[in-house]
Amino acid sequence: MHDQGVIHLTLMNLALAYGLILLATGLAYLLRAGEARQMLWASVRMGLQLLAVGYLLDAVFTINTPLPVVMILVIMAGFSLQVMGSRIRLKMPGFYRIMGSSIFIGCSAVTFLFCSLVVGYAPWYDPRYLIPLAGMIIGNSMNGASLAAERLAAEIRERREEIETAICLGATARQSSETAVRNAFRAALIPTINTMAAMGIVALPGMMTGQILSGTAPAVAVRYQIAIMCAITGAVAITAYLILLQGYRSYFTSAHQLRERQD
Amino acid sequence: MMVEKTIGENPIMVSVEHVDLLRYDRQRKESTILTDISFFARQGEITAIVGPSGGGKSSLIRLINRLEDPTTGKILLEQEDIMRLDPLKLRQRVAMVLQKPFMFEGTVLENLQRPFLFRNEPLPAVEGQEVRRVMELVRLSSDLLGRDARTLSVGEQQRVNLARALITEPSVLLLDEPTSALDRPTGDRLAATFREICSLQHLSVILVTHDLRLAGKIADHLIYLEGARIHETGRPNDLLTSPASSELRRFLAEPEDREGESHA
Repeated sequence: MHDQGVIHLTLMNLALAYGLILLATGLAYLLRAGEARQMLWASVRMGLQLLAVGYLLDAVFTINTPLPVVMILVIMAGFSLQVMGSRIRLKMPGFYRIMGSSIFIGCSAVTFLFCSLVVGYAPWYDPRYLIPLAGMIIGNSMNGASLAAERLAAEIRERREEIETAICLGATARQSSETAVRNAFRAALIPTINTMAAMGIVALPGMMTGQILSGTAPAVAVRYQIAIMCAITGAVAITAYLILLQGYRSYFTSAHQLRERQD
Repeated sequence: MMVEKTIGENPIMVSVEHVDLLRYDRQRKESTILTDISFFARQGEITAIVGPSGGGKSSLIRLINRLEDPTTGKILLEQEDIMRLDPLKLRQRVAMVLQKPFMFEGTVLENLQRPFLFRNEPLPAVEGQEVRRVMELVRLSSDLLGRDARTLSVGEQQRVNLARALITEPSVLLLDEPTSALDRPTGDRLAATFREICSLQHLSVILVTHDLRLAGKIADHLIYLEGARIHETGRPNDLLTSPASSELRRFLAEPEDREGESHA
C-alpha cells in the first residue's frame, strides 16, 4: 500500500472515536433536541457505508483494470443523479436526460484533461488517481448542477410575465430567458467561487489535509489542491452551462412559446 | 396585400375559424378551454371579447400571436394561415399588450428600444421619429423618456407598454384586460386612447375584458364568450340593450364591478 508511515487505526481506535458520537448524542439528549436517535443511526450508516466502500476500493485497487474503476464512477454518478432527482421539486421537462448528459460531458471532459495534461499519470485508469480526482469533480459538479437546475426552474416560474412580454415583442426563446439563465449560472458558481476565495484562510481543504496526513509534503499537497479547485470550477461551469443551454429550451416550443406550467 | 373587401366595410384582418383549445394537466386530465370559436376582426375597428373570467377570453387572444396554438381550427392573418408564418415575424405584425405592464430594467426609452434589440435592428434614438410618434400616440410627454420605467405610475407604465407594442408598426393589436390594473378614471382615459389609436393607425384591435361598460363605450363589435363558447356577437348597443342568450342576460344582471378578478 502507499502509506508512507501512516499510523493505522485499529477497530479499537475507531471504537474510541465513536465515543465522541456517544458524547454528541448525550448532549442532544440533554437539550431534548430530538436528534439523538438520528445522529446514532447516521453514524452507524456512515461506519458501515465507508467500511464497505473501503473494502470495495481495496479490491478495485488490487484488480487494477479499467472496467471496475469506470464502473465505480458511473455508479457514483448514477446515485447522485437519483438523489438530486428526489431532492429537486421543480424539475424541468426532460430533467434526467438533461442532467445526466450535461454531468457526463462536463465531468468526463474536465477529468480527462486534468488527469492526462495536468497530473499526467499513467495508466489513465490508475484508481489511486482517477477515483479521488474524478470523484471530487463529479461531486462538485452535481452540486453546481442541482443549483443551476433548481434556480432555472424558479426563475422561469417567477419571470413568466417578463418572458411572455419579451416574446410578444418579438424576442426568441433564448432572448426572453436570458436573465433567468444568467441568474441560474451565477447561482451554480457562487459556492465554488466562495470556496476558492476562502481556501486556506477560513478552512483547510479536505484533500490537502488528507494528503498531508498521509505523508505528502504540504508544498506538494497545496499544488494538488490548487489544481483540483481549478478543475472543479471548470467542471461546474461546463456542466451548468450545458444544463442551462438545454434546460431553457425545454421550457419553450420551437415556435418560441413558453410552455404551460407543469407544477 | 390580398384583402377581401365588402362594399362599405373595412377589410378583415384576423379570422378565427372553428378553433378548439384543450389543455392537459400533469395527470393528463383534459380540460376544454375553447370550443368551436369562429369570429373575425376588421381593420380600423375594435373587436371586444367580453365575458366572465375563466371563460377562455385570454386564452383566445393568446392564440392570435401564437403564445399558444389551438388544438384544432385555423387562424388567418390577412388570409394567411398563421401557422405558416415565422412566429417571430407574426408577432411583429400582431402586437400584444398584457394585463400587467412589465417594464424591463432601464429607462422608458430603453423599453421602447427593446423590440429592436430583440430583432438585432438599429435602435431608434430619443429624437428619432419612431419614438416621438408612439409617445404622441399614447399621449405621454417625451420628458419621460429618460426616466427609470419602473418608477412610473401603473397608468403611465401601461401607456409605455402600449407605445412599446406600437413602435414596430403592427397591423393588429391584442389587448388583454389592459385597464384592469388601473383605477376607473385612468382606465377610461387609456380606453379613449385605444379608440384614437385604432382610428389613426387603422389598426385592427382585439380587446379582451370583463368590463362591459368599457367594451360598450369603445368597441365596434362585441363577442360574448362564456364557458369556452361564443354565445353572441354583434354591435355593442344591440347586445347590451337586447341580449338574446340567457348567458349574456345573466352576465348583464350581475353587479358590474368585478374587480380583483384574475384573468383566465
